[in-house]
Amino acid sequence: MSVLPSGDTGSEVLVPHWLASPERVQLAAAVRSALGDPAVHPVAHIHLQNVLTELHVAAARDAVWPASAARVRLATGWDADVLPVRLSAAELTAVLALCPLPDGLRARLSGGGA
Amino acid sequence: MTAFGRRGSAGLLQRLRPTPIDVADLLEVAEVVLPVLAGPQLRVELVRRSGAGSALLVEEDERSVRVGLGELADDMTGAGVAPTPEAMTAALRAWVASRPVTDAAATTDGIAVLDWADPARSAVGWRVVVRREELTPAWTPLPGTAPGRVEEIRSAASARAAEVQLALRVEGPVALWSHPSMPVLATTALAAPARLLARVADAGLPVDDLHVVVTPQRPVACAGRSVAARLAGETSEASVTLPWERLAGLPWL
Repeated sequence: MSVLPSGDTGSEVLVPHWLASPERVQLAAAVRSALGDPAVHPVAHIHLQNVLTELHVAAARDAVWPASAARVRLATGWDADVLPVRLSAAELTAVLALCPLPDGLRARLSGGGA
Repeated sequence: MTAFGRRGSAGLLQRLRPTPIDVADLLEVAEVVLPVLAGPQLRVELVRRSGAGSALLVEEDERSVRVGLGELADDMTGAGVAPTPEAMTAALRAWVASRPVTDAAATTDGIAVLDWADPARSAVGWRVVVRREELTPAWTPLPGTAPGRVEEIRSAASARAAEVQLALRVEGPVALWSHPSMPVLATTALAAPARLLARVADAGLPVDDLHVVVTPQRPVACAGRSVAARLAGETSEASVTLPWERLAGLPWL
């Protein structure tokens, strides 16, 4: 969670969004729905594919290194199924612009890393 | 985990303001517990030295460890072991279980696992460990051990590592290998690289440019290069990411 210098390519910085399991399922469904649209730009298509990948990678990260997320959950009181889903600025933009998100999830993601 | 086992700590208060373990109390417990811990090849005894206090001696084949009982009591106090007979008994058992591994034990039971090669945690290498209750102490060849013997023990340990049954979990493009009861054995997945590749393919993952993310004592993750980079790149935990081709050349530590 670093502060981006203005004008820099922030695309490599991945910001964590802490989402519970139902929210991750909603996000996956919304992304898949957007991917089904043939009008989606190829670059945006790649970003959306990466978001689907990240949903799996987030679970894998927690399986290999559970301690850091566990510490955050302990401090915040979040449920055990809450995981940090790490998205680049470009990936987040693609999600917000192209995917049919439920209002609550859209608000969570638009609020930035949390 | 201290040398006195996972239960060596009796709780926060005991750790912050430890009640010292009295040598005389430890001696009483040791006199009862040590005879039970000895075995056919394993000598576990109290050695009385006039004017110098008692010492705990553990001898097994070519290996030997001796510690003064006063020093052991201090170490236990520092590790937060409570001054109760139960806690001291458990701590003594764990201390004996963490004794050096003999060549014979390494030969018959050694398993090869990956461990950090340096304190900076920048590289990994193979080590022979044996399972002893909850612990997995590492085997170190004594200076002067014949190279052929060391090679023989290591080969047998690698073969045994290749036979360890691991649990596979597929998480999208990531294959995760773990051991259900002993996390340190997860890295045995890498002892047979060709078989690893076949199993990843069977799980439905693409195997071109397969990479492995290794953290000793944690599950092993296999994925393509960019997915592996995404997995390992954002964590503050130490890990090593290796292309599959590098697995066959990992050194022995």
